[in-house]
Amino acid sequence: MAFNFKLPDVGEGIHEGEIVQFHVKEGDSINEDDVLAEVQTDKAVVEIPSPVTGTVKKLNAQEGEVIEVGSVLAVFDTGDGDDAEEAPAEKEEKKETEEPKEAGTEVKEDKGAPKPGKKVLAMPSVRKKAREMGIDISRVEGSGPRGRITLDNLKAFAEGGAQKETAKEEKPAAAEEQPAAKEEKQPAVAQGDEERMPLRGMRRTIAKRMAQSKFTAPHVTVMDEVDASELIEVRKWAKPMAEQKEIKLTYLPFVIKALTAALREYPTLNASIDEEKEEIVIKKYYHMGIATATEDGLVVPVVKDVDRKSIFTLAKEIREVVGRTRERKAGVEELKGSTFTITNIGSFGGQYFTPIINYPEVAILGMGKMAERPVAVDGEVVVRPMMNISLSIDHRLIDGDVAARFLNRVKELLESPKLLMMEMN
Amino acid sequence: MVVGDFATEVDVLVVGGGPGGYVAAIRAAQLGKKVTLVDKADLGGVCLNRGCIPSKALIHAADEVDKMKNASHMGIEVDGVQVNFTDMMKWKDSVVKKLTGGVGSLLKGNKVETIQGEVYFTGENTVKVATENNSTTYQFEDCIIATGSRPTEIKSVPFDGKKVISSTEALSLEEIPDKLIVVGGGYIGLELGTAYGKLGTDVTILEGTDSLLPGVDPSMVRMVKRKLKKFGVQVVTKAMVQGADTSGDEVKVTAEVKGEEKTYSADKVLVAVGRTPNTDDLGLDQAGIELDEHGFIPVDKQMKTKVGRIYAIGDVAGQPMLAHKASYEGKVAAEAIAGEPSEVDYRAMPYVIFSDPELAYTGLSEKEAKEEGYDPVVSRFSFAANGRALSLDAADGFTQVIADKESKEILGAQIVGPGAATLIAEVVLAIEMGANAEDIALTIHAHPSLPETVMEAAEGVMGNSVHMVNK
Repeated sequence: MAFNFKLPDVGEGIHEGEIVQFHVKEGDSINEDDVLAEVQTDKAVVEIPSPVTGTVKKLNAQEGEVIEVGSVLAVFDTGDGDDAEEAPAEKEEKKETEEPKEAGTEVKEDKGAPKPGKKVLAMPSVRKKAREMGIDISRVEGSGPRGRITLDNLKAFAEGGAQKETAKEEKPAAAEEQPAAKEEKQPAVAQGDEERMPLRGMRRTIAKRMAQSKFTAPHVTVMDEVDASELIEVRKWAKPMAEQKEIKLTYLPFVIKALTAALREYPTLNASIDEEKEEIVIKKYYHMGIATATEDGLVVPVVKDVDRKSIFTLAKEIREVVGRTRERKAGVEELKGSTFTITNIGSFGGQYFTPIINYPEVAILGMGKMAERPVAVDGEVVVRPMMNISLSIDHRLIDGDVAARFLNRVKELLESPKLLMMEMN
Repeated sequence: MVVGDFATEVDVLVVGGGPGGYVAAIRAAQLGKKVTLVDKADLGGVCLNRGCIPSKALIHAADEVDKMKNASHMGIEVDGVQVNFTDMMKWKDSVVKKLTGGVGSLLKGNKVETIQGEVYFTGENTVKVATENNSTTYQFEDCIIATGSRPTEIKSVPFDGKKVISSTEALSLEEIPDKLIVVGGGYIGLELGTAYGKLGTDVTILEGTDSLLPGVDPSMVRMVKRKLKKFGVQVVTKAMVQGADTSGDEVKVTAEVKGEEKTYSADKVLVAVGRTPNTDDLGLDQAGIELDEHGFIPVDKQMKTKVGRIYAIGDVAGQPMLAHKASYEGKVAAEAIAGEPSEVDYRAMPYVIFSDPELAYTGLSEKEAKEEGYDPVVSRFSFAANGRALSLDAADGFTQVIADKESKEILGAQIVGPGAATLIAEVVLAIEMGANAEDIALTIHAHPSLPETVMEAAEGVMGNSVHMVNK
């Protein structure tokens, strides 16, 4: 009989997820714990296993669709007897949740004399489809002759929600606004060959997050350069030891250690703003986000409590979590909770850049490429391994002087790694 | 359940193998359910065995007889048309047999298990099925009640199966009666009365209200009434039947007609005053199902009763009692059981009456359209202006379309004339599709054909019918 599978809470605090890909299609049989779908949550793509063995009767979402936790993702036929009754009940729920989104059912009234008993103009097949999609067809605006509702109208309604209402509101507002509104709907006319694809999955999340950060936090970026001569020496010295422990030692753990020390001195950089309560939240824990490039785009896995971990441990953990992230296997828990983030564009060759803060954090450190450059030392031009670093800060909370001093401290610690010893606790 | 009484488990139990039940069973099976269908008699229900089909066969045979007798104006002289009524009945039975056999193989082909037996509910998900030799308990996941209806009996003239008969016996008489009284001027009485009239019976229809075919648009009824006399059918309206005396050779029916007591005598009395849903002997109270005041089972849009896993479709689920309504509802119920979001969602129900001329209607009449707040346009095209109707020697009647004045949306249609039952399909489709009169008018209709009348009537809505002078 039918088994309704609701999208589970795949990670703490997640209330919706985007279906990246279904691994089955309707009619397929599936075993318990086989992968049913990949769901994109905040940053991770989570594989949702099938809860039962049976056949997939119905998939209630399309790839690319965002569905809420608790709504029915799929209906299985388990072959044995139990609740078929749930399905209609589920539909009811869905309808209910949709209602608040679409305020103003009274629109019908002013739609120019709908006669009593007059029914929605739509073909039987379209009415059936509306039922299948859980759409109250009387809410859909039809684009066909005399307002006939087409399949496309249903699809548009499902994607856009409150179509009928918005369309109605616009009209009385101002007649001359209409052409403008129309233009908006039709994006710029193509001047040549172009390809269009839906903004979906990770890219959509990234787009949302970047815009949110950049448009919420006024960014200021301070840049400096670090003489990495000593850092290189230290790393060279420690490398064999690391190798014995089968650890690949990079510069990143050193940078994290330097950052942690500096953050302790400048606590406002390890903070966030609680906009709702208008409070500044200073964090006494240090979880480092590591911006990581993956095939699908930027993801930030997190190494927790970096202040309490040794450089070797950090090296090991970074390698593991970054690896899992690149393979899209990192758990949701590993991708959240950072208090500060490092982004290393240098590994791809960039020197100067202005990183975007991993909102709601208030600062991010960017590492440029390490390269030999001529520098003036004691009145002489010498060649030194140099690395550019940039620090973007949220100017709402951090002023330029603090940012500059913080960056100086980081530079100091990186140029004289011995100082890091003094920071040990 | 008695100790030691093991229940046979089924996914879907369908009770009744008529046009509701067998369709529901097949659809449920198509959707992957294990279905068991129980019927106490023959597959196909009343419709195939004792209703729609045998009556249409009889009506057609009578029509042929009538045509042969009345073809001299076309230059066809037929002497001595003989009716071998026994053979006519055999032919009718063969038609029924073909169809019921077809239902049987369809059920088999869809792996529906069929059992002949009587069903009695013993709980919310259990029934006892009494077959000829034993009684078995079945436990179902879902159940569809499709037990149909039977001819309504009136106390003053109770059925005896010989002289006072129902439509069931009227369809399997041994000989053509000389005189027949039909109590009830509804479609069943009219159809059978007309058929026997054509076969030579002297028919008197006693109707209690002031009109034949109560509830049908009077302009249509007039067309039918006009011809009845020619077939030897007399209609007495406002006739309240008091009783029947069956003691003699003839049966004598007394009725109060317009305040006066009158007596009518005949060989047989056909009582056709309606149909009663078969909901009384099923033990429905054991399942927790209550009936409404007319004996119908209340259902929701998915044909679900208040006992969630039990559905009711067709005649037991309320008016109109039509085979095609039962089939439609059967599909809805089966799909709902399979978890699909199907529900009863039709815009137009076709009604057809095989009178002479044939009569069909759907959607709203002019009166109903006004009552619903529309400003209706009525456009009528006569079969007398249709080449095909004339060449069929069947030019009586009209096709009438009711449309909304402003939107030209088709609201309903009334057709009386040749092929009305077939022609109505186009208008039903138009209403379902939300088509307006212009859509029909712009659709090419073959010439010469009867459907041209639908096109012409639709054009008339815009006032531009070519083959009539528009009002």
